[in-house]
Amino acid sequence: MAAEVVAALDVGMTVEQIKATQIGMKALGAGIAVGLTGIGAGVAEMAIGSAAVGATAENKDMFGLALLFTVIPETIVIFGLVVALLLLFV
Amino acid sequence: MLKPKQMSRLLIAASRDQMAPVIAELYRHNLFHIEDYVDAGAEGYEGFKIGSPLSGASEKSADLIKIRAISNAIAVHADDVDAAPSCSRDELQTKIERELPLLEREVEELMVKRSKLETRVKELEQKIAEITPFADIPVDLNLYHGYKRFTTIAGYVSREVTLNVPHEMHLSKGKEKNFLVVIFPTEQKSEVDKALAEAGFQPVPVPEESGSARGRIEFYSGETAALNKEIQEISKQLEDTKQKNAAFLVSCEELLKAEVDQTEAPLRFATTKQTFVAEGWVPTDKVAAITNSLVYMTDGKVFVTVVPTDIEHDSVPVEYNNPDFAKPTQVLLDVYSRPKYTELDPTLMISIVFPLFFGLILGDVGYGLILLVMAYGLRKFLKGDDGRMLLDVLRNASISSIIFGIIFSEFLGFAIPGWKPILYSRHLMSEHGGHGPNIPELMVVSVWIGIIHLTLGRILGIINHAQQDHGHHRTLAILANFGWIAVMWGILIAIWSTVAMPLMPDLTGLPAVVSLLNVGHLIGGVLLIAGLLFIARESVLEVIELPSIISHVLSYSRLVAVGLSSVAIAMVVNFLSITMFIEPQLENLSVVGVVIILFGIVVFVLGHALNTALGILGGGLHSIRLHYVEFFTKFYKGGGKKYIPFGMKRRFTEE
Repeated sequence: MAAEVVAALDVGMTVEQIKATQIGMKALGAGIAVGLTGIGAGVAEMAIGSAAVGATAENKDMFGLALLFTVIPETIVIFGLVVALLLLFV
Repeated sequence: MLKPKQMSRLLIAASRDQMAPVIAELYRHNLFHIEDYVDAGAEGYEGFKIGSPLSGASEKSADLIKIRAISNAIAVHADDVDAAPSCSRDELQTKIERELPLLEREVEELMVKRSKLETRVKELEQKIAEITPFADIPVDLNLYHGYKRFTTIAGYVSREVTLNVPHEMHLSKGKEKNFLVVIFPTEQKSEVDKALAEAGFQPVPVPEESGSARGRIEFYSGETAALNKEIQEISKQLEDTKQKNAAFLVSCEELLKAEVDQTEAPLRFATTKQTFVAEGWVPTDKVAAITNSLVYMTDGKVFVTVVPTDIEHDSVPVEYNNPDFAKPTQVLLDVYSRPKYTELDPTLMISIVFPLFFGLILGDVGYGLILLVMAYGLRKFLKGDDGRMLLDVLRNASISSIIFGIIFSEFLGFAIPGWKPILYSRHLMSEHGGHGPNIPELMVVSVWIGIIHLTLGRILGIINHAQQDHGHHRTLAILANFGWIAVMWGILIAIWSTVAMPLMPDLTGLPAVVSLLNVGHLIGGVLLIAGLLFIARESVLEVIELPSIISHVLSYSRLVAVGLSSVAIAMVVNFLSITMFIEPQLENLSVVGVVIILFGIVVFVLGHALNTALGILGGGLHSIRLHYVEFFTKFYKGGGKKYIPFGMKRRFTEE
């Protein structure tokens, strides 16, 4: 507690303000984690998806494999989501 | 279970006059997967040739093509027709002879008539499009042509034009471009062309019509409307024909397909002048039945024997062998790839684990009920086998969803009143009757599921390699799979020895060996290094894949993450519609209030509809992806040949 008070005095904020800022920063971090990984997964899936549609159009048996390839980068955004959840709730 | 049906290779030989009864009997049994004879001079087949079709094949094929053409023209699909009271073969045969030519003529006439009318409509529409620009110019269309010394040109210009030659010009201003008609002496064409080109002139053809432009447009529009009405009439007649003849067409198609299949079967047999030989695959438990009935039908004039199977070189067709409740899941496996004959068939495992994963992701009584209703409701529209199987998978998944909904105490994102979540809660906000989420615990549970699932995958890998491979390679492959398990558990033990985590063994208290390292680290390290060696012995390149252990295990956290996102969407929808729109208005009701309440209800319905769709996608795709990507890559190759027995499931006709 003492350290927090000193830190609060140093930056000219109350302890409550610092806590509120921390909560805000966590929320921001969570948002950035999901947003950026979402973009990442989207970029990765873009090329795979178009190729997969092409392959499936040529040969319907490819559908399963094509779907598999398409969803592989989904893991990226799932990691983002996990990080966000851990930031917010743990 | 866990293994495809056992197959035996059957060789049937008889004299040629027994061909028809043998084929008919095989077709009736619908069990014999014909191995097509290839005229490649195989050992023991010297002097054999590919057979020729039985008599009547070409007429029947022609009839079948006719029927398929009609079915295509009026869009009749066997899957859309309910199994009608089936008629006997003779009845249908006479009906085909009597009615098919009539029906063919009727449909063809209607189709030709309709396509003629459609062409005419297109022509008229083209004419209307041509005349339309002239509608704003107050000159009759017959004044544009018929001159010897004058030329008329029309088109679009971007700005106004002034011509230095004698001319008559009409300009109608449009939003972006101006439409212009100029009549000028033919000898001055080059000057006019030049002036117009400078104004960015785009010519359009001058219509060869007479009368006022608007009048012509009206006339043609009227004609188009009349033609369209006629087309509608014909379409209605075709629809009537379809309603009347759908059952007849599908049963005809079935009958003829069966006959064509049978008459063309000799094309897949090896024949000499006097004899024929057919080879193929039959489920081992049916060999006796087929042999006996073949012998019975031909009065013993047939030779049937089981040829020993060479697992290495024969491509044995694969038929699933699963208990009834697991059968629908086969469709998920076929999407990926059918197992090889020598491989473990994971259908049974998927049929249990897939619904569990789905329920974990979409654990909500409300959504589960919606999906259950959908799974039964859509049966009316999906009549094909694959569609039915998918719906059965959805039904199983939705039941699991309901069970997990009770465990998580969720109903459309609300907590079930008076019911506390068993074990863990996923409610993100505690003030609305929720209990606060147990996210760390849920995450650890999902990671545990991953660890167990992947270990199981590797164990299955060991079994597969033990069954399929031979000699040194077999040992290496088995040890490599064991190595992967060892590395994973080694890392786990090392982590447990370093930090204490909820729901995981705490090994931090083990006696220390060297400074910060304890016995756990030591065991973990030994496992890891031993595992690495085993993996590297099979293939050094595989070592690059090591990080996939961590990413694959963590990938299972999607079970919680995707689930929580669906809970979050449901809660947002509830908050928006109920807390923000409906509740405040209910306190003091007014006319505007009622409108806002209705709006709130719309938001509620649309939001949950969207979330249901996302739930199917999220729950279904992510669960199946965990199988395809994380689980299957550990042991499953697939690529087995589908077992296609010679015969058909009759839906509309009798034998």
